[in-house]
Amino acid sequence: MTLTVAILLTIVTAATPLLIAALGELVVERSGVLNLGVEGMMIMGAAAGVVVAIVTGSSILGVLAAIGAGMALSALFALLTLGLSVNQYAAGLALTIFGLGLSGLIGAPFVGLQRDGIARIEIPLLSEIPLIGPVLFRQDPFVYASFALVAGVAWFLWRTKAGLILRACGENPTSAHALGYNVLRIRLYAVLFGGACAGLAGAYLSLVLTPFWTAGMTAGRGWIALAIVVFASWMPMRAMLGAYLFGGFIILQLHAQSFGVAVPSQFLAALPYLITIAALTLIMVLRRGTGAGSVAPAGLGQPFTPDR
Amino acid sequence: MTLNRRHVLQGAAALAATSALPFGAMAQDPINVGMVTISPLGDFGWSTMHNRGRLHMEEAMGGRVTTTIAEMVAPPDFDRVITQLVRQANCKLIFTTSFSYFQPTLRMAAEFPDVKFENATGSSTLPNMAIYNARFYEGRYVQGVIAAMKSRTKTIGYVATFPVPEVIHAINTVMRGAWTVDPEMKIRVVWINAWSNPAMEADAARALLDQGCDILCSHTDGPAPLQVAGERGAYGFGQASDMTQFAPNAHLTSSVNNWGDYYAARAQAVIDGTWETADTWGGLTSGMFSMAPFTNMTPEETSTAEAVVAGLSDGSIDPFAGPIFNQAGEQVIAAGATLSDDEIRAQNYFYQGIDVTMPG
Repeated sequence: MTLTVAILLTIVTAATPLLIAALGELVVERSGVLNLGVEGMMIMGAAAGVVVAIVTGSSILGVLAAIGAGMALSALFALLTLGLSVNQYAAGLALTIFGLGLSGLIGAPFVGLQRDGIARIEIPLLSEIPLIGPVLFRQDPFVYASFALVAGVAWFLWRTKAGLILRACGENPTSAHALGYNVLRIRLYAVLFGGACAGLAGAYLSLVLTPFWTAGMTAGRGWIALAIVVFASWMPMRAMLGAYLFGGFIILQLHAQSFGVAVPSQFLAALPYLITIAALTLIMVLRRGTGAGSVAPAGLGQPFTPDR
Repeated sequence: MTLNRRHVLQGAAALAATSALPFGAMAQDPINVGMVTISPLGDFGWSTMHNRGRLHMEEAMGGRVTTTIAEMVAPPDFDRVITQLVRQANCKLIFTTSFSYFQPTLRMAAEFPDVKFENATGSSTLPNMAIYNARFYEGRYVQGVIAAMKSRTKTIGYVATFPVPEVIHAINTVMRGAWTVDPEMKIRVVWINAWSNPAMEADAARALLDQGCDILCSHTDGPAPLQVAGERGAYGFGQASDMTQFAPNAHLTSSVNNWGDYYAARAQAVIDGTWETADTWGGLTSGMFSMAPFTNMTPEETSTAEAVVAGLSDGSIDPFAGPIFNQAGEQVIAAGATLSDDEIRAQNYFYQGIDVTMPG
């Protein structure tokens, strides 16, 4: 295995949890809801995943529990923001703090335990392609799932009627409502999907990347996922680009350091957010004068209460 | 899980209950000991080991102490939590287990002169505030010796946290140990800028192994780098607790923190009225930390490592003995001289032969 392949391999694994969580949040935001609780749902997924996997001895049940835990937390968020029209920013931040605390409580008896990570699956033929084969087709199931999610989300949002309706709820919920669509129900489904993805991303951390539990082990990846959604200007393919770009920066700076190149790591820690700001600025400069409005869904972050 | 307020209230309730007892029983009443930790007790590292020390103290002291613990206390909340521990939980002795609490502890110790404070790992004392720490660098020296015996690529990988003296002198000491076996030993260092970020620790470990290291040391307390070493058929060391189980085929030894005996002794001193301020920096002999059983080593390697542990314990090996030159080639420790504790605590340079740039 050459160094290039080794570096690319770790970039893929570093990017995958960011990508999965970002895709979920992208769908949520496309429906007009801003859930800042990604970090909280992700760490709940990490905790539930490893706890259930250790107790039952089954990684599959662990993954399902992680998805369930993320969805449960997002259901709480939905109850507050959709059911009671609570401010989405406040509810999302509360969700993060709540998730970080609750996951510590659930995980406490499992500190210091571990189980074997989920194995890699080699795809026949494809894995024989030089360079690309070992990097993309000798990976764990989560990586393949993330590829499928990118394609699935892109297809759903732009090639299906349901996707069009979901985007309509995000752009102009009043019109969608007037056309007879149940905006709150559609937003609920989107929020639950976002929770499931965040939980799955958390399970990747605690079942594959570092198969054990430590409190706070997501270490801010939920926030990077949120930045990726903005960087991607709410487009699934660009989210993939963003996740791999940010994952690439993380891994390359580690290699640069090990190689003896002085890199101010504080600067690199800030880089994802700087790039996001730069990307947004660039997009808006390009759009200026074209008459196109903001790239964000027009109804993002605004509670919708149907008139009865 | 310990919720600050609930436990503080429990302590207060216990106090209310005991104060209702007849006066004669008061003499045997347990004292309440407080502890404040900066990270979650489930961090499987620094705070977990302080909490184990607290539980060990409770067990060793029988019914003579009760404890109240507040975890994840951010420095801005420190004063409020300490005031609660003193006023409501009636703590007579409080362990504040982070260097981030050093200045705040100085301040609160002045405010509550009747309460004894102990801070890990501060740098000055007050009449009612002691400081304590362990000479973890002795464990690093042992790691260096073992690494040099086990490495085929002659390169150690070090997953570092922040460029502070504690980490810098640890890296220097690993190499002092390694050079006693093989002067050709090299080290690569990756700074992850966090005390805990398991996935990034693992990625840093992979980067180091990919670049030719075959032994991993880690300054984070998590088992992730050791696990990666296990996956890749390399070797590694555990930190804070015995991490053999995380990589049975890769683990060589761990530096195991053990604060319990110290805590019990200090609590007993408060009960006896003999507590005095102190600057305790305990080495391998103090029991504040110890090396976990050596694994994956030949009998010869084990006996060499044991001899080094013995030499560090009896003082015949001094990891800071001169002559030592820094990266610029200037002599920083003269032949025949050694560093004082304060100089070790302030070390901010790498030795000659360590090709590592200090991050900006």
